[in-house]
Amino acid sequence: MSRRPAVLALAVGLGLLGTAFGTSASIAAASSSSSAARASTPSAPGGPLGPAYDTKTSSSVSLSGAGANSINPFFEKVFYEYHLKNSKTTITYSPAGSSVGISDIQQDTVDFGDTEIPMSAKDLAKASSAVLQVPVDLGGVAISYNLPGVTGELKLDGPTLAGIFNGTITNWDSPQIAKVSGLSDLPNLAIVPVHRADSSGPGWDLDRYLIDTSPAWATRVGTTASKTWPIPTVGVGEQLNSGVATYISQTSGAIGYVEYGYALEAKFTNAALKNAAGAFVAPSLQSIADAGSFARGLSSSKFSIIDEPGAGTYPLANFSWTLLYQKDANKAKGIALGKLFDWVVTTGQQYASSLGYAPLPADVVSLATHTLEELQTPQGGPLFTK
Amino acid sequence: MTALPGLAGVASVKDAIRRRHGRRGGRAYVVVRWAAAAVFVALLCGLVASIAVDSSQALAHTGIGFIWSGTWNPAANQFGAGILVVGTIVTTFVAMVIVVPVGLGTAAFLSELAPRWLAGPLSTAIDLLAAVPSIVVGLWALLVLSPVFADHVEPFLKSVPLLQWFFHGPAYGPSIMLASVVLAVMTLPTVVALSRTALSGVALADREAAMALGATHWQVVREVVFPGARSGIAAALTLAVGRALGESIAVAMVIGNNPSVPHSLLAPGATLGSAIVNEFAEAAPGIGTSSVIALAAVLLMLTLAVNAGGQALLRRLGPGRLLRSERAERPARPGRAARREVPA
Repeated sequence: MSRRPAVLALAVGLGLLGTAFGTSASIAAASSSSSAARASTPSAPGGPLGPAYDTKTSSSVSLSGAGANSINPFFEKVFYEYHLKNSKTTITYSPAGSSVGISDIQQDTVDFGDTEIPMSAKDLAKASSAVLQVPVDLGGVAISYNLPGVTGELKLDGPTLAGIFNGTITNWDSPQIAKVSGLSDLPNLAIVPVHRADSSGPGWDLDRYLIDTSPAWATRVGTTASKTWPIPTVGVGEQLNSGVATYISQTSGAIGYVEYGYALEAKFTNAALKNAAGAFVAPSLQSIADAGSFARGLSSSKFSIIDEPGAGTYPLANFSWTLLYQKDANKAKGIALGKLFDWVVTTGQQYASSLGYAPLPADVVSLATHTLEELQTPQGGPLFTK
Repeated sequence: MTALPGLAGVASVKDAIRRRHGRRGGRAYVVVRWAAAAVFVALLCGLVASIAVDSSQALAHTGIGFIWSGTWNPAANQFGAGILVVGTIVTTFVAMVIVVPVGLGTAAFLSELAPRWLAGPLSTAIDLLAAVPSIVVGLWALLVLSPVFADHVEPFLKSVPLLQWFFHGPAYGPSIMLASVVLAVMTLPTVVALSRTALSGVALADREAAMALGATHWQVVREVVFPGARSGIAAALTLAVGRALGESIAVAMVIGNNPSVPHSLLAPGATLGSAIVNEFAEAAPGIGTSSVIALAAVLLMLTLAVNAGGQALLRRLGPGRLLRSERAERPARPGRAARREVPA
């Protein structure tokens, strides 16, 4: 009987451990950074919004966000760096998926959301108040694969990739892959296509590309791209970028789509895709930046940069969009959010390259800062004035 | 050692309590008891009502055919729970095929065979296993078990002649089989802990009587201990089946999330729970969300059916603690009596 309390305590301890596992990644490293920030001169980081609102003098603000999984490595880094420079602002971000970002902002349970595919007019109508959509990073989607012993670059075009993901091409030694890729040493190995089990921005991007480039794919799934993978009955479904990446790294013959930042971190080999100019291009910071440079007249309703022209352009690229209430009920939070994302889209872009994201092009930065200038006080006046 | 109070003794104890606490204390106790029960019933009714209301849109859209309609493809606005129900039942069944022999065997070992120095620590270890959160089991299965399955276990299963009917096709790692194994790992502690208690609860006198008649150890376990503990064992298995049907996170991590008709246990599949995990956060408001809640309603009905079945089974089995000979003497339906006749 004397053993019972000890067992109970252990069980409770394990339960708590589980809770800790379950909680979202907390980015604010408050303990490690506050002393460092105090030692250096605490300068309020600022972009074009100017020093009118200096958050270093305000009281502590704690911001919580949720949304896209693909942007998480970038957000982790910039939120940490921002907190180092401004210890009063603490930011947590839960990378549960783009659609969580949208539904959380609609239900007013977070201070900011993030989504790879901007909210549609229909989505916006369901929010309790006006929502601003700010482009914050430029990423790409890698087609990563695990083929031991194959050294040449795997080239794929839309119809071949569509065949792999709709189950008509099932083996790596298929003549169609050999013909398109120009590789003759592909093994006799079953293809395991991996898709996202949850809905995702990368899934939307690839669906869009396949609809545009493969008539067979468009006939099967229709012409509207979907964040939920349209053919879940072929291959294996895994949750989030990390789940897909883990599966690819474990499985010979697997091929799947992951955010380029994750593919870079996992040191995957990625397929070169045929772009609109007919060239085969692998994902890289340069080829993703090239796709971003075609973002003329970008807006939250005209957001797609899939299969853009240009010989060096990688066809699977997209901006990630942060969602903010135009009027935050808490003025201090509104100011902190404005300052934070103003910094993220300007100074913060220096951290993008090392993580596999291309810095935002100048006209997109200007779109972002102009959108942030529309932030309002709870009473409806402009939050930031020039 | 005092003699156990008989039925008359229990009644006199109740009388004594009533006398000592008087009517007022009794009334307060009754009120609290009813209030506690009412809160619980209200919670359950509220849950059922909200699930019913929220799922009504999907059921109105698809009709009652939602339950058996085969296609689950939210991207194409096709919502049918049929394949998910099949996946749920198959994974649970395969898990139970593993759990019943292993769990009951372990429980019998712990209560009948294991020396004291081994039984204590082993029981504690099993209780601890029950406390491991499902996400931890899922992570372990995804990162450790899945590659082992893909490289060794699944190729082996494919090579065994008779098993080939169940195990064929490419070995992906994540599969119905892996999900079933994970469910077995998660439900095993419950089954072992509860059946062990039930087995230990069989009266010493019954065992001694059987031994005195010259039964071997194995015969005692088979003829006296297991029949005596069967209601407890049935309760343990009912709980395990309920948990296996509803487990979501760990299954979603290892089943491969492919809602197509399972042709092999090595193929990826999907269950009601795994589909809820994958779709809920991003289900499109309206029909999408409603369909996911309708999945929850189907899962609730399935669990309810299993529990009701378990209860019925328990009632049929009776309270246990009956020797075979006693049972044979009871008046029973002819067929059953004939089957259960004790060899002379």
